[in-house]
Amino acid sequence: MRPDLMEILVCPTCKGEVTLTVYKESDGEIVEGRIDCAACKVEYPIEDGIPNMLPPDLRDQ
Amino acid sequence: MTDRTADEIREHVRNSYASRVRPVLDAPEPIQLVSAGDACCGPDCCSTEAEATTLTMVAPATDACCDISSGDDCCGTASGTEENLTRVEALYKGTDTSDLASSITDVAFGCGNPTAIAALQPGQVVLDLGSGGGIDCFLAAKMVGDTGRVYGVDMTPEMIALARKNAGKVGATNVEFRLGEIEHLPVGDAAVDVIISNCVINLSPDKDQVFREAFRVLKPGGRLQVSDIVWTKPVPDEIKQDMDEWAGCIAGAMLESEYLGAIERAGFERISSDPSEYEGREGIASAAVVAYKPE
Repeated sequence: MRPDLMEILVCPTCKGEVTLTVYKESDGEIVEGRIDCAACKVEYPIEDGIPNMLPPDLRDQ
Repeated sequence: MTDRTADEIREHVRNSYASRVRPVLDAPEPIQLVSAGDACCGPDCCSTEAEATTLTMVAPATDACCDISSGDDCCGTASGTEENLTRVEALYKGTDTSDLASSITDVAFGCGNPTAIAALQPGQVVLDLGSGGGIDCFLAAKMVGDTGRVYGVDMTPEMIALARKNAGKVGATNVEFRLGEIEHLPVGDAAVDVIISNCVINLSPDKDQVFREAFRVLKPGGRLQVSDIVWTKPVPDEIKQDMDEWAGCIAGAMLESEYLGAIERAGFERISSDPSEYEGREGIASAAVVAYKPE
């Protein structure tokens, strides 16, 4: 994902603001990282460039 | 709907789409075309019992429904390149898909023609609910141009992985995909100009929630423009029961009036619908629906 996706991204559960932490970047793309919702205390992983914004209780079904 | 729980439906849908897309995702280049018969949601669009049985596990089509407009069987009766391309070409008639890789067009299973995409303007922000392999996103991206953005949301990891892979092939720099649920959009309020969706909302176990979320993320005056499978007349119980057993996407489809009612309940106005019934299948249609969020 590109960093400007953060402009419209919110927590899918509380719709609150989320913050971005980048682990690995390549050509302006965030390849590995995480997106955190402070209010929900939930982490949304970014893996292979794809942010997983599924609500936590739906991720492992 | 049956007494299946929402979670069971989601799981079923996700698994069925993951299994469809894996062969495309994992295939070495050139991509092995997926059988058109694997991509169907219509009750009698498949002509044999064997095919119908296959559909038992093919729940409602995530982004995978039928081509009603062409008048052809949406599943076809045989697998193969020619037939599948014919279906995609018919569905996207009038739209240039020639520069899209087969891994994109092969998993384009929408039920409507992309009039929603044709109406897009440069600079718009577009959200595709159930973006699948990304075909509608890539076509939309061409319309909105460098100043616009297209966001695809899909709940199937394999679909998102394929879409991202396809984005690299297309060279689209104004498209982003992420895993997410259309009932719980990870998108801020009033962030989107146009929402598009091609044969996906019928899959949701909570369509009211989908439309509420769509309303929330649209800017005032924003447009919801979707194609979806609907019933145009009440379904006899015995048929519905039978269909529940093997064609999830029809079982999940709503009566058109109920579908439009759900959109209205979410707050939309100026709601219009143009249903096209399946040839030889009275009562089941692909509806092109447009609605607006009030200014």
